[in-house]
Amino acid sequence: MSLLEFARGSAMEWSLMILVAGMAWRLIGALLLRRTKDLSEPRQSALGVIGSLRAIVVRSFPHRELAMPTAFSHIVGYTMHIGIGIVVFGFIPHILFFENITGASWSGLSNNVIEISAIFAIAAMVAQLLRRILHPVLRTISTLDDYMSWLVTILPLLTGVAAHSHWISSYETVMAIHLLSVELLFVWIPFSKLMHGIWVVPSRAHLGTVFGRRGVRI
Amino acid sequence: MSVNAEAFSQFQQAILSLEQMSRPSDLSPEDQVARVKSVFERKLDESMAVQLESCIHCGQCAEACHFHVQTQDPKYIPVRKFELLRRFYRREKSPMRWIHRLYTRDITAGDLEEWQELVYDSCTECARCATVCPMGINIASMVNITRQGYAEAGLIPGGLQTVEQEQCEQGTVFGVGEEQFFGAIEWLKEEGLEAPLNKAKADILLVTTVVDIMLFKDALRSTVKILNHLGVDWTFSSHGFEAANFGLLSGLEDLQKHASGKVIDAAIACGAKTVIIPECGHAYPAIRWEGANERGEPLPFKVMAIAEYMGQEVSAGRLKLKKIGKDKKVTYHDPCKIARHGGVVEEPRQVLNALGVDFRDMESPGIMNWCCGGGAGVFLIDRAADLRNKAFEIKIKQVNDTGADSVVLTCGSCRANFLNGKEAAQWDKKIESLVELVGDNLA
Repeated sequence: MSLLEFARGSAMEWSLMILVAGMAWRLIGALLLRRTKDLSEPRQSALGVIGSLRAIVVRSFPHRELAMPTAFSHIVGYTMHIGIGIVVFGFIPHILFFENITGASWSGLSNNVIEISAIFAIAAMVAQLLRRILHPVLRTISTLDDYMSWLVTILPLLTGVAAHSHWISSYETVMAIHLLSVELLFVWIPFSKLMHGIWVVPSRAHLGTVFGRRGVRI
Repeated sequence: MSVNAEAFSQFQQAILSLEQMSRPSDLSPEDQVARVKSVFERKLDESMAVQLESCIHCGQCAEACHFHVQTQDPKYIPVRKFELLRRFYRREKSPMRWIHRLYTRDITAGDLEEWQELVYDSCTECARCATVCPMGINIASMVNITRQGYAEAGLIPGGLQTVEQEQCEQGTVFGVGEEQFFGAIEWLKEEGLEAPLNKAKADILLVTTVVDIMLFKDALRSTVKILNHLGVDWTFSSHGFEAANFGLLSGLEDLQKHASGKVIDAAIACGAKTVIIPECGHAYPAIRWEGANERGEPLPFKVMAIAEYMGQEVSAGRLKLKKIGKDKKVTYHDPCKIARHGGVVEEPRQVLNALGVDFRDMESPGIMNWCCGGGAGVFLIDRAADLRNKAFEIKIKQVNDTGADSVVLTCGSCRANFLNGKEAAQWDKKIESLVELVGDNLA
């Protein structure tokens, strides 16, 4: 079995199983903990639900009052997330991969768009890393998880660009490395802060509910 | 309409001596750690778990915290303040605890000592950080749970511990108990006001606070004047008159429950439809938002902050006020527990507009207000004075920028902290109470 066959075969299957089972385990384990009912009288009965939905959407954007101090985080964060999103879901070979697993398919984007998006995402991630290392606040609160998550996220981007650009003569080798880096990401997600893509919804919803019941548009 | 300077000076002296009066915990360090953990175990629920899982270490909360912004010291980053709770969660409750235990340090007595300043001195639980967190983490609630752990382990900082011990053991606060309350009732009567006490039935139960009885008697008198002016059916109750809740401030859950319970029982006994909380930022959430949860059932009455009540009555046209005039330039400080935690933002402004003053809102008003730095009992912690005054500099700038001559408040803790800050900074602005402004201008 070649390295590429391994990456496309059993490595992919196992990493996907760990991804799904790990995420389910972590999510269900937290969500099944005791729930506390708030018995205080809300200002209006629907405010909790409205607050919850509002927080899920509105919290994606910086609060006007704090837009300037948090501008770097938001600009770089959006650049990275949108860039990765375009690469993952707009690149035709990726769409074929998803179609193979789910049966769903959609139109791809041109290679130029994909390349530019990847470069922007990588640049944003480098900027994030530098800020994490240099900024006293971020340096203080950063953990191994932050640096590892950065590494396993940028590796598929770098190896993907390398494969796409034919920088390395052995396409099979670089493709196998790219796939293995993606599989490393799949395995890492359930154990790391990269699960925030899931947590963000219930977490914002809880905050929105608490403050929404009080009539506070937080 | 003024603060008794002598009484305020005595109050300041009392705060300074609180530290020496506290009795340190006689628990062993191991027992202290065990007690903190037992509270964390009891309190951690699904919503907290989700929020503890969510942090992405973006550091944005630091930009919202007055203590961090003013010192630029990374130790005051809000997300660090609940680190011990997060460590406990990761080691004991997280679905991935079998992995987290390999590299997450257990809580030690040394950690408890180190984090005490972060949990008490440098967090007013103002929740401004919650307005910026992209993951929606309610950091203030995490700090509050951490405080509950500390309280259970007898690790409340000296000054706050003394007040908590007094309220717990003697039922008084700063020596103010039933006797002083009766004295205040007599004083109100001497002032020519009707001050009904222990009516068998009443629509409204009015409660007061030690701070009003000791320092801000005019606020108490104005509240009574307003209720009498409106002609509503109200009463005081000697069975539940103290709204100040040092259990909430220190984190001692039993005391919080006991203090709120007395007011709730008194309200139920007289069949009150509404309980009016005086100008006290902590008394309001203690009963309005926590009361029902502590009791285990919804409260059979409404709970309103006095500012909220006045706004309601002004809007309904029942509370008529004299126009003070545009020569009076005022701004308004939103107390965190009333505005951001309580949703009472518009009502005080409606009242100020009804008074016809030249009202100038500060930059970042309402739910985005900057805390004055004294909330959650921080104004009772003497060792936090420098940090508190540093945070208060934001407030000074905000008020000065409006060009107002005075700043109006509706929270006794904020008012005491503003007076302290004014004295420390030799600030020239006038500190005024909303309820006193209304009481002096009834039409």
